[in-house]
Amino acid sequence: MKVPHALVVCIGNELVADDAVGHAVYQQLRHAGLPEGTRLEYCGVGGIALLEFLDGQDRLMIVVDAVQFGDPPGTVTSRSWDQLPCPGAGCSISAHGIGLKDTIAIGQTLYPERMPHQTRLVGVEGCCFDALGDPMTPAVAAAIPAAVAIVISELNKLTATFSGELQ
Amino acid sequence: MSAHTENSNSRTIRIDPVTRIEGHAKVFVNLKEDGSLDNAGLVVNELRGFEKILVGMEANRMPHITARICGVCPTAHHIAASNALDHACGIVAPPAAMLLRELMYMGHIIHSHALSLFVLQGPDLVLGLDADPAIRNVVGIVQANPEVAKKALRIRTIGQRINEVVGGRGTHPVTSVAGGITFVLDSEKRGILQSLVDEGMVLARELAPVVKQLVMTMIEKHPAMFSDWVAPSWGVGTVLDNRISLIEGKIRAVDENGVVKAEFPVQDYDQYLVESVVDFSYMKRVSFRHEGVMHDYRVGPLARMNAMRQFNTEWANREMEEMFKLGGYPCHITLFQAYAKLVELIWAVERADDILRDPAINGETRVPVKFQGGRAVGHSEAPRGTLIHDYEIDEDGIVRAANLIVATQQNQAIINRSIEQAAVSHVLQRPDDQRLLNAVEFSIRCYDPCLSCATHAVGAMPLDITITRGGETVRTIRR
Repeated sequence: MKVPHALVVCIGNELVADDAVGHAVYQQLRHAGLPEGTRLEYCGVGGIALLEFLDGQDRLMIVVDAVQFGDPPGTVTSRSWDQLPCPGAGCSISAHGIGLKDTIAIGQTLYPERMPHQTRLVGVEGCCFDALGDPMTPAVAAAIPAAVAIVISELNKLTATFSGELQ
Repeated sequence: MSAHTENSNSRTIRIDPVTRIEGHAKVFVNLKEDGSLDNAGLVVNELRGFEKILVGMEANRMPHITARICGVCPTAHHIAASNALDHACGIVAPPAAMLLRELMYMGHIIHSHALSLFVLQGPDLVLGLDADPAIRNVVGIVQANPEVAKKALRIRTIGQRINEVVGGRGTHPVTSVAGGITFVLDSEKRGILQSLVDEGMVLARELAPVVKQLVMTMIEKHPAMFSDWVAPSWGVGTVLDNRISLIEGKIRAVDENGVVKAEFPVQDYDQYLVESVVDFSYMKRVSFRHEGVMHDYRVGPLARMNAMRQFNTEWANREMEEMFKLGGYPCHITLFQAYAKLVELIWAVERADDILRDPAINGETRVPVKFQGGRAVGHSEAPRGTLIHDYEIDEDGIVRAANLIVATQQNQAIINRSIEQAAVSHVLQRPDDQRLLNAVEFSIRCYDPCLSCATHAVGAMPLDITITRGGETVRTIRR
């Protein structure tokens, strides 16, 4: 049976408090039995490195990362990349700060053939990002199952849409 | 969202960032009552807690665990930790292991310098400082020069792949351990690496003239960058057999005239490098102590070449000499940090090629080790500058104390001086916020500081500039 290709990239520094949530979600997704055609990757940092995972086959890329959108800690949101805020106006003062929005824009300009049809960010609202060696805060740790569930639900939605298209 | 606080003497406007996830950079520009510059600088909220994570852990895990501290320069930590453990065990890793570590490192340098030079500094170099901010960003330069951008991103990928093939994993390398490297190079991997290096060489030849032309154009557009944005300072780098070196050798310091003032094994670093707490930043600043006097100094590509004016490859030497012919030796022009990155990028590709052709790479790669207890000090020249790891290890091989010195701590004084110069030529008497932001950001970008060890999908780091006059805040600009 033909299946839609999808890519899930989890981002985050597993040693840094709430930043570890991307890695924790990655660990759970590894054992979650993802739909056929899904690739799962982990990336210590976001930015340009994301482009390396793309092969032009993916209908959907889901990026999982800790965020601070101002929601209560532990809130899990799923947004399309074009709905993301762009705080740096596309300018960064350090290579540490090149974000998903710029990365997707670069990818669309240079490698349109490699880009997924859709990109979504599954974000887990965190509150502590500067303490190496601290555990995740309780609300963030408690949100891991919800984040995993949203990723799986997005993937299932894709599969359903795809089979609808085939019929 | 902004918060105002007032007291009898001064008024401070603090702007809370909308999203603090990437960290939060603040720049202050303090003017005297008469409007002349008092001081300026960058405030960095550096990650804290290295000790917390390392203490109590088995020492032999240090190369793996420290590589995870920073997603931007994992290999620099991986190798600094391996060197520290080798020193603690009193062994020297076999020649083949040192060559493989160096090859992994050259991949890391190619990757990091390509990212920093083309993606981070590209908008400044290609579009200049006065371009419309709507296009003066990485997406704008990619759209303006897609073919160059593709080559730049491809050479970055090549560096990352070399790092990955030798380091065993993409994100965080794992193959360097106390005593050497965990594998022996086979013909399949050698073939992959050689084809990557061959492609890197072609790309470097195509990109080098482009970067040099961009630097020249920048000087024509902004003469002050060549004449005024100059920060004479001491420089620190690593030297082996009178050549620039990245993963082994002694640490050398030269003064602002290029005169060698000290050269020492990394184990003696704390006799020379003095950490101090400053009131405006969480990050400890580091000065160089020589004959009882403290000196500000620079680390990183330009400092390495000022400290030792000789590579072990021909093309890099030619390019370095061309750079010094233009900028003088020793060179202290802030813009030339970009030029120096290009020279090192060329060196890294050339050196990777030489390493692959060196028969010594085929030998044994690992010797047995035992921790006797005591200090373990090691270092590497991270892309942004000298990185030192210092652990106290007990007889059972457990880490009991840890200290790390990173590049940005050492560069902080010179970054601040560069910001002051940008402020003088672009701010004073010129109430143009956009020009100020561009100029200040440019000076900071030349050093590509480590701002947080966690980076994210939702970038970039917001920058606040606060200008005070006679102690009173007159303007706050935020991007």
